[in-house]
Amino acid sequence: MTVTPEVVSNDRSKYDFKDEIVYLAETKRGLSRETVEEISRFKGEPDWMLQFRLRAYEHFLRRPLPRWGGDLSRIDFDKIVYYRKPSEREEKSWDDVPEQIKQTFEKLGIPEAERKFLAGVGAQYDSEVVYHSVREELSKLGVVFMGTDQALLEYPEIFRRYFGTVVPPEDNKFAALNSAVWSGGSFVYVPKGVEVPLPLQAYFRINGENTGQFERTLIVVDEGARVHYIEGCTAPIYATDSLHAAVVEVIALPRSKVRYTTIQNWSNDVYNLVTKRAHAYENATVEWIDANTGSQLSMKYPAIYLRGRGATADIISVAVAGKGQHQDTGAKAIHLAPDTRSRIVSKSVSKDGGRATYRGTLKVAPGATNAVASVRCDALMLDDQSRSDTYPYIDIQEDDTTMTHEATVGKISQDQVFYLMSRGLTENEAQNLIVQGFLEVFTKELPMEYAIEFNRLVRLEMDNAIG
Amino acid sequence: MTLTMPAGAPAGALLGLAAEPSPRDLAQTLSEPGWLVEDRMAAAALARELPVEANQLFTSYVDLRPVRFGEIAAYAQVGEAREISSVMPEGAAALLEVRDGALVARGLSRDAAAKGVIVDTFAHVLRRDPELLRRLIEGGATLPTDDRFAQIARAAYEIGVLVYVPDGVAVNGPIVLRWAQGRPGRALITRTVVALGRDAHASVLEEQVAVGGIPEGGSQALWMGTMEVVLDRGATLDVAGEEDFASHTVSFVNRHATLGESAALTWALAMVGGAYVKSRIDNVLVGRGAGVHQAEIAFGGGEQRFDLTSYTRHRGPDTTGDLLSKGVFQEASRGFFKGLIRIERAARGADSYLGEFSMLLTKKARSVAIPSLEIDQPDVRRASHSSSVGPIDEGQIFYLMSRGISRDLASKFIVLGFLEPVVARIPLPAAQERLRQLLDRKWIPGQ
Repeated sequence: MTVTPEVVSNDRSKYDFKDEIVYLAETKRGLSRETVEEISRFKGEPDWMLQFRLRAYEHFLRRPLPRWGGDLSRIDFDKIVYYRKPSEREEKSWDDVPEQIKQTFEKLGIPEAERKFLAGVGAQYDSEVVYHSVREELSKLGVVFMGTDQALLEYPEIFRRYFGTVVPPEDNKFAALNSAVWSGGSFVYVPKGVEVPLPLQAYFRINGENTGQFERTLIVVDEGARVHYIEGCTAPIYATDSLHAAVVEVIALPRSKVRYTTIQNWSNDVYNLVTKRAHAYENATVEWIDANTGSQLSMKYPAIYLRGRGATADIISVAVAGKGQHQDTGAKAIHLAPDTRSRIVSKSVSKDGGRATYRGTLKVAPGATNAVASVRCDALMLDDQSRSDTYPYIDIQEDDTTMTHEATVGKISQDQVFYLMSRGLTENEAQNLIVQGFLEVFTKELPMEYAIEFNRLVRLEMDNAIG
Repeated sequence: MTLTMPAGAPAGALLGLAAEPSPRDLAQTLSEPGWLVEDRMAAAALARELPVEANQLFTSYVDLRPVRFGEIAAYAQVGEAREISSVMPEGAAALLEVRDGALVARGLSRDAAAKGVIVDTFAHVLRRDPELLRRLIEGGATLPTDDRFAQIARAAYEIGVLVYVPDGVAVNGPIVLRWAQGRPGRALITRTVVALGRDAHASVLEEQVAVGGIPEGGSQALWMGTMEVVLDRGATLDVAGEEDFASHTVSFVNRHATLGESAALTWALAMVGGAYVKSRIDNVLVGRGAGVHQAEIAFGGGEQRFDLTSYTRHRGPDTTGDLLSKGVFQEASRGFFKGLIRIERAARGADSYLGEFSMLLTKKARSVAIPSLEIDQPDVRRASHSSSVGPIDEGQIFYLMSRGISRDLASKFIVLGFLEPVVARIPLPAAQERLRQLLDRKWIPGQ
């Protein structure tokens, strides 16, 4: 129970770097019908995808900005570059990756991570997947793990069958934007009965000032298959606003099990507006393990639609909101079939005037008999300049549902701090340890390397706070 | 007094009733002073600007479709019945009863009258002590400025009721306010202000009942009103409410309380009748050490809708909010429980809890819970909410059945026990017994 000093660094600049990249192709700033057509042409896409993008673009124009959640008024859609391409083709191996990009990943610790236990790496550099390797045995198992753009061309049938079925472009304004200009992201297909033995991982980064990032991830897990997908983000700090509007679609077919883990640490100028949704069919299990640190505003509510009898949803969501940050995050569990179960656990920390908001939905629709659901939200506030909100929506339309919900908000117990200080810790170390313990429900679900990295991020945030 | 009433709803009508007097005509008919006319007009202007639900959190859970304003008209006559009874219920300190749009009973115990307690209509108080009323209600008193229906009541009330207890006075026995409403096609809009001076004490029992002898059916009936509570330093008030309107009556109620230092308020509210009940309660804890305890129950059947909102605002330090909402829904009835605890930065040491618990007894019943928190001050004793929705606990049924009680009776006992916390807080024994019988009759066997 000690803070491991060797992994603790106070040097936040580790995450604050920016490389000069020569982009091989990019669109003009701002969004127009021509931009959308240009992106599709660049990529040599089939016509149905162009039509899909245009339909989404039309909806984006019509749809007003949401009036709830965070302050979106400062996003200037005309200043954003919607597509840029750093290199011409997807690299097959690490050696082929341009040196400059490699150095970026070096700083992020990717090569070590890969050497240790990566099953595959999909690394997103700006708007294109530049590096992607899938282990030999995964290919033999028939597992497909590649950039979404590539998958559109190589697996057109399965792609078209599922793409946009979980999150239609009309779902919300930012899903429409993503659908119009999407680029990059990961595509995963796990065939029937296949268990992927190690987590699939993709690192994402935003680089380039005012570059919007609109990746699109599609994960299809066939009957009885299992997979764990990990997405982790760090981003350099820039002065002007940056927009990240991703869409993640997960299809968990009968009896499959999918875990999707996210650790996010966007720089403090990023608007992180992400639509993540999974459909869980008969006896399937979907788990979202979701952490939000960094960004100036996150609006992200991972959702699971329990569509088949006996399906299970498990969502763990943690958020840390520091100075100038608003984490408006939460979870949704929608019970649409009998004998379904869901569990939502949310933990948030707010400090230095930051605002942490839990916003979630639990719905049991008519016909979803014998549902069991629980929602637990705990918030920790480190000072009285900060704010914590809890907005759970619970809508039950079946009489045999068992639903429980609890939420608490409080501060760090001075008794605990005193106890730890009496054992020789400084006040800063004591508070840090208590916050890490508060977030343990999340950390313990991570692979060891990620747990260490996450604790390091929390430590960095805490040092900024308490100093 | 006969109202000037345009045929059909005039332009700018607040509710869109079949016949609706303008606030100005209403004030003139009631010979109200200029400041009160202005107050009504200000409220009307505000109401016209406000949406049905101003809180973004709750907008998607407001459904006024069960309410048919267009088939309800205001009473053509408002005011007092020809004969006003002064007979009071056993043990009560005061009674004020409005039946079918007119004041029919008013009584005040000798003891309370001697201490300067007022339980009367605005119309009477305006004649006796206009400055007192002006001080208490001008500027909208404590009514929320973001609530359309609260402002409509302020603009368009036909009968106002004042309960006033001077500093240091403790009223012995409950003050009974009875609203008998339900003539098909008729609407009544009212305002009630309850003001307690320093260290004063009182208890109020508000009964909303059906008008006897009038057949139900046909058009809907409407009751819309407020209870605006102002508690000065150290004042304590217990409010109990029983609502049992007939099944064609829709009701809108805004209860709003402002509490000074060390003031204490309890609400015990039971909602049983009516086609549609929309209730909003605001507790604003301003003074250090102020505390509110609130328990409300809704027991639904048929197609009934209960839309219940609670706001607890902690402004002062060491304030306490303890709120419990419970619902039991039979047949195709529905409950919407919305709550918000707000702890402001100055409210160090606040203790706040909101519980929303529902039982659904049939497939068609539905319950929605939105218990939310907005916290600006982490130095709290407690800031939490919890909620649950479920069927009757099988373990409890088994326990009772093992004692020789039939399943149906066991279920009924468990439901009535679940609702008992409010029943036990009704002050008059007769009123408490009546509520017990009401709940007992509401139970639908064999579900």
